[in-house]
Amino acid sequence: MKDKILASLKRLNIEEYILNISSFKSAQMFFIKKSLDTKRAENTVSYSVVVYRSFEKDGKKLKGSSSVHIYNGMTDEEIDAAINRTYLAASFVCNPTYELMECKKNDFITIESDLNNYSIEECCEKTAEALFAEDNRNDVFINSAEVFAYENNVNIITSTGIDSGYVRRYISGEFVAQCKEPQDVETYKDFKYYTLDTEALKSKVKKTLEYTLDRAKATEAPKAGKYRVIISDSYVSEIFSYYYSRAEASYIYTKYSTYEVGQNIQALNSEGETAEIKGDKISMKIVPAIPLSFEGVWQKEHDFMDEGVLKIFHGGVRFSRYLGIEPTGDYDSKGLNIKPGSVSVEDMKKKPYLWVVNFSDFQMDDFTGHFGGEIRLAFLFDGEKVTPVTGGSINGSILDSQTKMYFSKEIQRDANFEGPYAMCFEDVPVAGI
Amino acid sequence: MKVKESEYLKLKKPVLKKLLEKLLAKYEYASILANDSKSVNYRVNKAGTYIFEDNTLSERGFVVKVFDNGKAAEYSFSAIEENTVDEVFDEIVKRLESFGTKLPEGVDTYKYNDTDEDELFINESTEFESDPEEKGDNNIIELLTRISEKGRAFDDRIIDCSVAFNYQKYSKMFLSRKKDLTQNVMWSCGYIVAVAKEGEELQNGYRPVSMLGGIEVLDTLEEKLEDACNIALDLLKAEPMVPGEYDCICEPDVTGMIVHEAFGHGVEMDMFVKDRAQAKEFIGKQVASELITMHDGASTIPQVATFFFDDEGIPAHDTIIIDKGILKTGICDYQSAKHLGVNPTGNGRRQDTSRKAYTRMTNTIFEAGTSKVEDMIASIKDGFLLCQASSGMEDPKNWGIQLMVDIAREIKDGKLTGKIYSPIVMTGYVPDLLKSISMISDSIEAGGTGYCGKGYKEWVKVSDGGPYIKARIRLG
Repeated sequence: MKDKILASLKRLNIEEYILNISSFKSAQMFFIKKSLDTKRAENTVSYSVVVYRSFEKDGKKLKGSSSVHIYNGMTDEEIDAAINRTYLAASFVCNPTYELMECKKNDFITIESDLNNYSIEECCEKTAEALFAEDNRNDVFINSAEVFAYENNVNIITSTGIDSGYVRRYISGEFVAQCKEPQDVETYKDFKYYTLDTEALKSKVKKTLEYTLDRAKATEAPKAGKYRVIISDSYVSEIFSYYYSRAEASYIYTKYSTYEVGQNIQALNSEGETAEIKGDKISMKIVPAIPLSFEGVWQKEHDFMDEGVLKIFHGGVRFSRYLGIEPTGDYDSKGLNIKPGSVSVEDMKKKPYLWVVNFSDFQMDDFTGHFGGEIRLAFLFDGEKVTPVTGGSINGSILDSQTKMYFSKEIQRDANFEGPYAMCFEDVPVAGI
Repeated sequence: MKVKESEYLKLKKPVLKKLLEKLLAKYEYASILANDSKSVNYRVNKAGTYIFEDNTLSERGFVVKVFDNGKAAEYSFSAIEENTVDEVFDEIVKRLESFGTKLPEGVDTYKYNDTDEDELFINESTEFESDPEEKGDNNIIELLTRISEKGRAFDDRIIDCSVAFNYQKYSKMFLSRKKDLTQNVMWSCGYIVAVAKEGEELQNGYRPVSMLGGIEVLDTLEEKLEDACNIALDLLKAEPMVPGEYDCICEPDVTGMIVHEAFGHGVEMDMFVKDRAQAKEFIGKQVASELITMHDGASTIPQVATFFFDDEGIPAHDTIIIDKGILKTGICDYQSAKHLGVNPTGNGRRQDTSRKAYTRMTNTIFEAGTSKVEDMIASIKDGFLLCQASSGMEDPKNWGIQLMVDIAREIKDGKLTGKIYSPIVMTGYVPDLLKSISMISDSIEAGGTGYCGKGYKEWVKVSDGGPYIKARIRLG
């Protein structure tokens, strides 16, 4: 199909294009309690073509683009017709002109991983084995689980000479832990690893089972008011995704964000003025989840913030060209490497706190800067005793909190995130009883 | 006009029948679902103009389901030709036999029995007035551009106005020993998002349109522009909510979010199989005010989740979930129905053919009541009108509510004061909220510009809605 599509593009005299070929091979297992309910296997491939069209309108140089999927088994005539329709659509897309990504090097790489030592089905079975390894208690257990092992083979071909690709394997899934006494509760967790990190998965399951036991004992919601709030695990990366989103080239180009490189963005308050940072200063890198973007940009780690100061904007080709910066590609907002903070978790817990270890859903709104979620399990320390609590919700603002946040010395790793295990905010509003 | 059947699927049908024959010779049950789907997104905003095929909703793909001595297995693939039927069959058998036998200690494989089915033939299409492909990309972009530019000129603080349209046209074919089903469906959506900015704060006003049909959905979009801009500007002056329990009126989209997120997920019966839903213990009991009757189904109303059969070959239903406050039943996919010994309700849906089917909602609504909206507002001494649902999360196990709305408009002594609060988190216990419903307006509105996930994945198109409702709600 690759050759047929490229021949069609040539036949139609389409000068600028990107062809993205992505195939997936996977094995999937779905468990209910201690039974394998369904197993699935997959062998799929997709072909996506973006065509570009340069033209002038009212004296302005413009470049339009549009995309189409091409499918296995299509005839030459069908491919020509589909691409031609898309090329026509591109002529109605009146965006300022820009250059596509130039070819700097061509390469096909297999991303190293111990997952490559096994068949995709074996990867799935070994992950399932690790998942259930800690499920050996009577009082708390795995209610249900889904386990996936994927091999993704990507090939990017562009009119600028790029013909590169990669093969990457990963395992992912989710599980629900349940505890029936003294009350029936559950905890949902997902996971994703680029290696066969069975120890990390076992540890995640063990911790989730323990939290679920704690949640079964929690009956009261915290009283409404302002708290010194600690969050941990995956919720930490959600907070930092705010800075990632606000520094994206499209946000800068549209003036949704007024961030400037060299500016201390952590010191900004809601009026856009600068305040003194009294807590830990943020230093972090952005880390790509994949080596090659769909536009053909080879992606790498970049220093992103240094002690609160923004080092770069990031983004794909079009908006980076508009801003006159080097395209970095397409990152995942959770692909971050954050320098640990100044205090240990134990030190964080020396003063009264509300430590939320499980939300029903925790969200960071990069538009408003509000963050929050409903509390499924938190530990409330009033200065004397620790009580598990459930219910109520956190409703904070990063613009109010960012100059007085503290990060733990202890770190966590998950997929392409590495950063503090926990972080602490002062005076966060909590809606409780 | 009716949506036309896919020529591609017509061409593939004899090939798929050959594959099915081979599968049925090996397994006690086999079915094939084939999908030919095209979805195009159009968007205009300050960042530019976009026309692109949707990666999630556009596909040509196939999924085989088999029961092998009662054990359920599936294989997803994207290519088959007349001369590759044997090759595809061999690959299915090889891949499915290559794993699932070495299970973790103490784990076995569930065996389904009685996989027989009734004879069924369906060949149906939904209707539309105007086909987006015939309308032409230039005309669609021209309309969106005009609305976007008008929005950006509305006020200096409106820094952007994103206007979008998307549609999906799909044909699905389901073949098994006794079933030969074909359906051809088209839905369309549009929305306006006005973005207002002051200092570092951004706020947005959102107004959607959606329908089962074609480009005619855009006929009413432009008249919603002023509303979208005013909402964004109002939000810039919003104050934080003082947490507490209040008398509230919910606009239909907020009612829809309560129906869908707070209650609907809790009656997905794959959660009953896993003992993950409290609703299982409440069948036949009162869970809501007797004013409440709740439906879900692909045939409940004509909206974006309307179809004729689900992704497991079960005909569309209109399921009454709550009847005058009493929980009557849940909704169910095929395998969960087998576990529970009940009939499936046509709610087995897949994101695409590379994914498993789960129990999923379709068009989910509360029925209308008899009250006038103005009487409902007048009945409130100190409370809020809740508008612009933004997000929600289900909690079937504990029926805890976590819903976010953008706006609470203050009502004092039966009148809107013009004062607004944002953002708003609605919390509490689902039956408490539903039982507190004391007034319901006399007409319903439903829409479906968004997607519903199962946890954090498996996105499918759904619609929800209902009337204005008056309820006692804890806000934060």
